[in-house]
Amino acid sequence: MDLVLHSVGGLSLDFSTLPQQLVNGLVVGAIYALIALGYTMVYGVLRLINFAHGEVFMLGAYTALLSSWVMGFTPDAISKAFKADHPLTSSPLNLVIMLLVAMAVCAIIGAIIEFFAYRPMRNQSRIAALITAIGVSLFLQYAGQLFLPANPPPSISQEVNPYQKVVSFVLSPAQMNAAGDVIKPQMDITVTVGKIVMLVTVVILMLALTYLVRYTKAGRAMRAASHDFDSASLMGINVNRVVTFTFMLGSALAGAGAMMLATFEGTAMHPFFGLQPGVKAFVAAVLGGIGNIPGAVLGGLLMGLAETLVTWIGFSQYKDAVAFVILILILLVRPGGLLGSNKVEKV
Amino acid sequence: MSLSKILGTRVLSVVLAIAFCFGLDAFVTGQLNEYVVRLVMLAGLYVTLSVSLNLINGITGQFSIGHAAFYMVGAYSAGIVSNAIYKTQPLAAPAYMIISMLIGAVFAAIAGLIVGMPSLRLKGDYLAIVTLGFGEIIRIIVLNQNQWGGSYGYAIAPKYQAGWLIWLLAIICIATCRNLLKSAHGLAFLAVREDEIAAQAMGVNVTKTKVVAFIVGAAFAGAAGALFGHMESFINPDLFKMEVSFLVLTMVVLGGSGSITGSVLAGATLFILPELPRIVSFKMSLGLLLSVLVGIGVLVWMNRKFMEKYHEPDKLKRTLVVAGANIGLAVLAVVVGKLLNNIPQFGTTTYDANKIRYMILAVVLLVIMLLKPTGLLGHHEFSWDWVKRVLNRNKAGEASA
Amino acid sequence: MKNGLLQLAACALAVASMSMFAGCKDDAAGGNTTGTSTGTAGSGSEQSGDTIKIGLVVSQNGELRPWGVDCEAGAKLAEKQINDAGGIGGKKVELLIGDSNSKPEEGKSAAAKLASENVIGMIGEVSSGITKQIKTVALEKGIPLVAVGATNPEITQEGQGLISRVCYTDDLQGPVMAVFAYDKGLRKVAIMTDQKQPYSTGLSKTFAEKFKALGGQIVAEEFYQSGENQFSGQLTRVKSKNPDGIFMSGYFTEVGPMARQIRQLGMDKAVLMGGDGWDSSDLVSSGGDAIVGGYFCNHYNDAEDRKEVKDFLEAFKANNNGNLPGTTMGALGYDAAMVVFDSLKRLAAASKEINSKNLAEEIMATENYPGVSGSITLKGTHGDPAKRALVVEVQKTAFVFNKAYEASEVMAR
Repeated sequence: MDLVLHSVGGLSLDFSTLPQQLVNGLVVGAIYALIALGYTMVYGVLRLINFAHGEVFMLGAYTALLSSWVMGFTPDAISKAFKADHPLTSSPLNLVIMLLVAMAVCAIIGAIIEFFAYRPMRNQSRIAALITAIGVSLFLQYAGQLFLPANPPPSISQEVNPYQKVVSFVLSPAQMNAAGDVIKPQMDITVTVGKIVMLVTVVILMLALTYLVRYTKAGRAMRAASHDFDSASLMGINVNRVVTFTFMLGSALAGAGAMMLATFEGTAMHPFFGLQPGVKAFVAAVLGGIGNIPGAVLGGLLMGLAETLVTWIGFSQYKDAVAFVILILILLVRPGGLLGSNKVEKV
Repeated sequence: MSLSKILGTRVLSVVLAIAFCFGLDAFVTGQLNEYVVRLVMLAGLYVTLSVSLNLINGITGQFSIGHAAFYMVGAYSAGIVSNAIYKTQPLAAPAYMIISMLIGAVFAAIAGLIVGMPSLRLKGDYLAIVTLGFGEIIRIIVLNQNQWGGSYGYAIAPKYQAGWLIWLLAIICIATCRNLLKSAHGLAFLAVREDEIAAQAMGVNVTKTKVVAFIVGAAFAGAAGALFGHMESFINPDLFKMEVSFLVLTMVVLGGSGSITGSVLAGATLFILPELPRIVSFKMSLGLLLSVLVGIGVLVWMNRKFMEKYHEPDKLKRTLVVAGANIGLAVLAVVVGKLLNNIPQFGTTTYDANKIRYMILAVVLLVIMLLKPTGLLGHHEFSWDWVKRVLNRNKAGEASA
Repeated sequence: MKNGLLQLAACALAVASMSMFAGCKDDAAGGNTTGTSTGTAGSGSEQSGDTIKIGLVVSQNGELRPWGVDCEAGAKLAEKQINDAGGIGGKKVELLIGDSNSKPEEGKSAAAKLASENVIGMIGEVSSGITKQIKTVALEKGIPLVAVGATNPEITQEGQGLISRVCYTDDLQGPVMAVFAYDKGLRKVAIMTDQKQPYSTGLSKTFAEKFKALGGQIVAEEFYQSGENQFSGQLTRVKSKNPDGIFMSGYFTEVGPMARQIRQLGMDKAVLMGGDGWDSSDLVSSGGDAIVGGYFCNHYNDAEDRKEVKDFLEAFKANNNGNLPGTTMGALGYDAAMVVFDSLKRLAAASKEINSKNLAEEIMATENYPGVSGSITLKGTHGDPAKRALVVEVQKTAFVFNKAYEASEVMAR
């Protein structure tokens, strides 16, 4: 749409919206980071790119949707309640239930996928395992299209979300000249309470993950397995259990991300909607150094910020491309990702 | 082998290849069936794509998952040049198409060079993400060019559908890869795949080898893209999404990484597979579908157990037992499915073939990968010698047992 | 043999026996015709036998499936009604369905397959990009094509009297919304365009052109790609321009979440507007309170008090387990099929030979066919029906009719 762009002016840096855009980027990045953690943990232990992770994310969103329906928030019930003038209201408890159910179901799905598809591939070449992952992802997409409600693409209704209040933090008020024209627009950050809740939840989940990986027995086993799979099993670690645990953990995080995205942003679900967040998160994981847990978080946040800042400059149509360009440039400087180790192979 | 004999086989194979192309063309156009013509041509394109990706991925071991980008570069560049010059240049269509193919190949090769550069520094998954990113960047750039039709698409002037040219390209691609592998240069590619450092120590120019692999692979994909663009005469960025890259990668691995014949086989098969339900249409009830899916799951599990635990020396007996168990299970699955159909919801909901054709593709993919993770042909090439060797080995095995 | 070839072969054997066993007993299994073509290129197909075959290309798989299955259900309903009423001239009509998997390349394969089965007419696609590919097959084979939801103006150009559609074009829809916005007193409007969908880019373009010509101002245009979930970056830019209204030309799957996010950023005043991509029973669910009060341009309205609409919705419900069409494509698919069948009826009544050429002429001679989506006239319009467009308002429980526009009145502005 050249005609519109030119009239607006190509590059216009509006610093009054920068703080808002940074917050936007943070929110987008937090979701990427949650999904990227699943990629990176699985990779760390198995050296496998789990391409079906995006589909686990998709199933997580569907689980959240179905559990909200079970709790009585079906479209029919909502419109009936509206007509009867008793609009449904939700409590935070509903959200907690949805979150836990989505995480639990995703964890189970992750374990099932690992058992049926990846365990037999463990001693095979990595690329064969990757193709199996693509096969699983195709299967989940096309089976989902038969068995999941997708026509029309449903979404979690906003009545489920009790945190809809919009809050605005004014950083600097608008300045006007004597004639009353705005010479400097107001600089503020507007968010919903839901987004704050979402960010807090993401932080809590990440702290919990850090604790799990660092200070528990299971986490220690996981780290050992990721360091050296064979030695770990010699040390008496049940590596099968560790792998299953890793898959469950990563999938649960994806489920949490999916539930929050679907609830707070109103995403319309169809069986293919996991693909895009999945690929973005994969990119984020690689950017941070795949296999590295803090790296995945950093990569996710960076991806989110990069995308939003590209939009801020005024190139929303090139948003995805620029994100990739940044990624490639970073990888050229640091071939092992930001926090990844760049070991030179020795013979 | 004497020189004349070698020359003889060479000439013979060239003549045979050309005869095959024109024979195919004559057969296909004799059919007058638009659909078959189209399938044959698309299959040729996918064979070219998978064999050329095999050169990068399977033979040189560079993990590239952005092959659709080269395909796209070829299609768009050839199309843009054609639209600009076709009317003013003197060549007739077939001769011009060869030029157009070269144009597509050159532009794609330049793209291949650009992508190949990072491969000097990056390895494995990091390289994969760069190639994937490159594909997306190209697609998004084209998407934003209104002079090329943006998301709606770009019309390309001479519409030229030639099965023979497409298959000729495929055969040239196969021949190039095969001859490369048989030559001393080819060993360098294999060495880089197996161990980069060892290869370097042996004096292989790793940098050059990698970049050449990318350039050659990309050039063939670009030439295929040029033919595709002129065949469709209307292209849009949706045709070159990353799903296409994944599909081509799947073809390479399914055929057996590094095996050229495997790539050809898997390229043609995987492309035709989802088209089959169009030809043989059927309907399946929900009950039957579920029990067949579960049945296939059990089938895979059972066969894996056979592979691990069941070592019956008597070949015939083993084959019979395995086949019997499989057929028994299949019959059981169908019977259970029929029984399930008695449950109201399961029996009345039916799906026609069109709606489950991609699920079939996914299931076949998974079954093959789980039962034969090295791909259909493994690292082997299909040749009569290989078949003979396998048979002999089995005989020897029996004798020693 | 440890490498699994035996197991693979056994597995293939098992699957083969499974399919044979299932096939020979399953009463639902339908055989299929082998494509022995007799028609020569460019002349279309002759009809022989006692069924009249019409092809339908829809997305039964992939991202466009929600629209595809609606279109399929609508067209099948039309087929059923015609056959229940005795068929056409004593012959049954048969709808052969090809799946495009939401991909242009496969749409063309599906169309080629249908052409090889000697369909005399084709109906299809809901998306402009795929329709464009089907069109090339139709032109080559000389088979008339009635597009369902392809609103891109270029579709019917150079159609050789074969290509038509039952929906209006972006050339109408965009200007209608522009006039509506201007009449509502909006002067500064921002646009959100789905860069991936030709439908959306085309609609944004025609809207912007007309709105500027009327004297309005397009203060921002931001882009996204369908499949994205978070639009806060783009919307913050929109917000900084303080628009009176926001025109969102994409599909409801993205518009719903976007509407919520617009309100979340504190833009409470901006009027939300869009095209027929909004029409879905899920719009209010995904858009929530934010989308309520928005306006969009539609072909028809569920609540409309017209006989065609009421009859259609009732029949659709009865035929689809009590479900209403999820998107507007149910009605358009029905109309497209009905336009073809109606033309066939006229052919039969005039006892002309039923072939592609006559059918194409007859389709192009359609006059005032009372479709669900309004009266359809293709005579003298080069395949683009001059339809009226409705602007409806989104309310919590229904889409409420707001204003109707005739094409002539919009173009005159």
